[in-house]
Amino acid sequence: MFDVWKNVLAKLEQELSASSFLTWFDSVELLDIKDGTVIVGVPNVFKIKHIENRYNDKIKQALIENDVKFERVEYVLKSDTPKVKKGREVTTEEVMTPEKARKEHDGVRVPVRGVKQSTTGLSERYRMDNFVVGSNNDLAVSVAKAVIEHPGGRYNPFFLYGGPGLGKTHLVQAIGNEVLKNNPKLRVLYIPINHFYTEFVGAVRKGGMDEFRKKYREVDLLIIDDFQFIVGKEKSQEEFFNIFNDMHQAEKQIIVTSDRLPSQIKTVDERLASRLTMGGAFDLQMPSFEDRSAILQSMAEFMGVEIEPEAIQYLAENVKTNIRDLDREFKQIIAMAELRGMTPLELISGGYIDTTVRSSSTSKPTAKKIVEKVAKYYDLSVKEMCGKSRVAHIKTARQVAMHLLSEELQMSTTQITSEVGVKDHTTVMHGIKKIKSDLRLNFTLREQISEIRGSIYE
Amino acid sequence: MEIEVEQSKLAKALSAVSRVAAGARTTLPVLSNVLIRVDKKKTTLTTTNLDMAVEDFLPTSLAKDGVVTVPAKLLSEFVANLPGNEVVNLSVNGDKVVTRSGKYSSVMNGTSAEDFPELPEIDEKKAVKFKIGVEEFKAGLTQVMVASSNDLTRPSLTGVYFNTNDGALYVAATDGYRLAEKKLIDKVKSEVKAIVPSSSLAEVMRLLGDNDDEVEIIFDDAQVKFRLGEIELTSKLIDGSFPDYRRLIPEKSETILKLDRAELSRVTKLAALFAREAGGSIICEAKEAGVFSVSSVANEFGENDSEITVKVTKPNKVTLNARYLIDALNVLSDTQVIFRFSGGLAPIVVTNAKLDDYTHIIMPLKGKG
Repeated sequence: MFDVWKNVLAKLEQELSASSFLTWFDSVELLDIKDGTVIVGVPNVFKIKHIENRYNDKIKQALIENDVKFERVEYVLKSDTPKVKKGREVTTEEVMTPEKARKEHDGVRVPVRGVKQSTTGLSERYRMDNFVVGSNNDLAVSVAKAVIEHPGGRYNPFFLYGGPGLGKTHLVQAIGNEVLKNNPKLRVLYIPINHFYTEFVGAVRKGGMDEFRKKYREVDLLIIDDFQFIVGKEKSQEEFFNIFNDMHQAEKQIIVTSDRLPSQIKTVDERLASRLTMGGAFDLQMPSFEDRSAILQSMAEFMGVEIEPEAIQYLAENVKTNIRDLDREFKQIIAMAELRGMTPLELISGGYIDTTVRSSSTSKPTAKKIVEKVAKYYDLSVKEMCGKSRVAHIKTARQVAMHLLSEELQMSTTQITSEVGVKDHTTVMHGIKKIKSDLRLNFTLREQISEIRGSIYE
Repeated sequence: MEIEVEQSKLAKALSAVSRVAAGARTTLPVLSNVLIRVDKKKTTLTTTNLDMAVEDFLPTSLAKDGVVTVPAKLLSEFVANLPGNEVVNLSVNGDKVVTRSGKYSSVMNGTSAEDFPELPEIDEKKAVKFKIGVEEFKAGLTQVMVASSNDLTRPSLTGVYFNTNDGALYVAATDGYRLAEKKLIDKVKSEVKAIVPSSSLAEVMRLLGDNDDEVEIIFDDAQVKFRLGEIELTSKLIDGSFPDYRRLIPEKSETILKLDRAELSRVTKLAALFAREAGGSIICEAKEAGVFSVSSVANEFGENDSEITVKVTKPNKVTLNARYLIDALNVLSDTQVIFRFSGGLAPIVVTNAKLDDYTHIIMPLKGKG
């Protein structure tokens, strides 16, 4: 008789919008059919009347189609089944326990049974040793290493954010692969949030919520990718929140990636947002010119191909959007070079490559443009910014300009002096050093510089 | 449907109800709307997020029957920005809601009211009712809500437990590490055992006006209604059982100290600075020499030790989380407080020196100490 109910729900889901269905029928169950009365259990007292008023006819219709004989349908409040899951029954002894003093990570628990590689969602090509470390990502990488050392330790959850194509997926999958390598018995699960959503909705429809929850209860390391797509999926967010809490309490590692901070994602619950970043939020930045060169170099080594330093420089200078584009352009040049029997540099200097690169690149900015964009960003005139003012925010703006001139145009400190109106090149050296060290700890500054960098290449 | 009402009254009512709607993180657009219903000349504004609902009865100078829903936040902000002392006219034209006030007017797209959930009703004849003064209600709930948990994996601890015992109404909350209990009403006739979500109570506290002098609390099996003058907040109850917490309150303690609240608070905060690395753990020790010392050690930064002179009957030592003690001292009101404990892992009890039916318990930390 309870299979009938699944059919009824399936029919309702077809007829209602997804949001209505999830809002009203999540955890609604058939409790009994007795003396011609169908008893439907609704978990929320606020929903009973609405379901009765609006959906009674549809439910009756669906019951008839499934050959259920009844005279009337009754809607009753049922005990709050694991929506916000009922937790365990709390016993008195359990309630007030002397709090454990914060302890060292007590090792990863050994799971009951192993998990096959294919069920982890990980791809083996993402490894730590083929992830290029640069100033744009070194902080995130060192945290990733700490997570590999101590899953469920200090950086739990590990929240990683940054624009597209900067290596978020690579880094988190690499963590998963490394953790598995260290302890093949651990259950690791990598899942993009939209797959999580699909699974969740499927479970709701087919009444497989218990199985769904069980699956996540058993995971030791959960990696959620592209969390920003949670927008507008309240129910899965709630479910994720529960899973998150359970795992975190059990000191199991959670890794989440997103293209922005949770607080900047609309409709993310504040509690969830703050919990997601309680292990710290780490970002992947646009790589600088030097980083881009290093990435290209390691791509060449990885593929075992020869490429001239000049060709690398050309690519690093021209492809500034993200690492994915860099990868694509690089592979294209190598393929073309092989095809034509030329070296990459010959290809570039011969003008064969120009068109492909242009699509993702813009012309090299001038020093003047950089200075202007920085001044504009901080609401200053170029005159105000370039000069001797010691006012803190003006000084910072000036130092940011120095930093960007050095990073983006590889100008020497002496060249920079004239651009920002300071006399001494040691002032420039100090400014660049200051920003470099501030960047490590100051997230606001990182974001600001990344935005300015974007505006330079607009 | 049409109503006419003074701008200030409408703005106040909308701001009261729109928070619940605006706060609803919902996929269902109609839940971010306010339901405006005029029934037999009586105007009601309603919002809900399916965990609680707020209704405000609005006295109007003109009222024609009808019902409509409009985006709560938009209407609330529009009305709030209209000039005061003017009359606002709100009318329905097809599925549009027209708001007019002097030279200002707006047309908003309304949604049919039939999508708006009908709220559950409480049969007041069968329900259990209590009445309490606003000030006592506010003070009492503030004192216990500090101890409630926000860990959704243990839902029954995320609320405040209203319970009657020996003919009195008590409220209690615990997050597993501390517990607070207050006797709210001394003599009651009916009995109740219900867990009210802290989030709903927080909303009740915000809605409490200066001019209301009484709160009416009405319980049935699945829900509770708080009646505050013209406003009613209905909340579902948390389904689950609250632990039998009374057994946890120690009747006696080995060491009983009477301390100045401000001074104890100061030394705790000082020690807490050095306790960050150790998860807030501080050591409290009553010494024979008539000294109560509060200390903490942070390997990286150094250490802290402060002393208060006090009469000590029996020396004892306990480790606890500084934050819990600071929270407890914040909600106590007397200048003198009683700090009693028995060392080891026995619960610590903190109360006002002038007993006021409020008890706060903190569980010690395991570990050195």
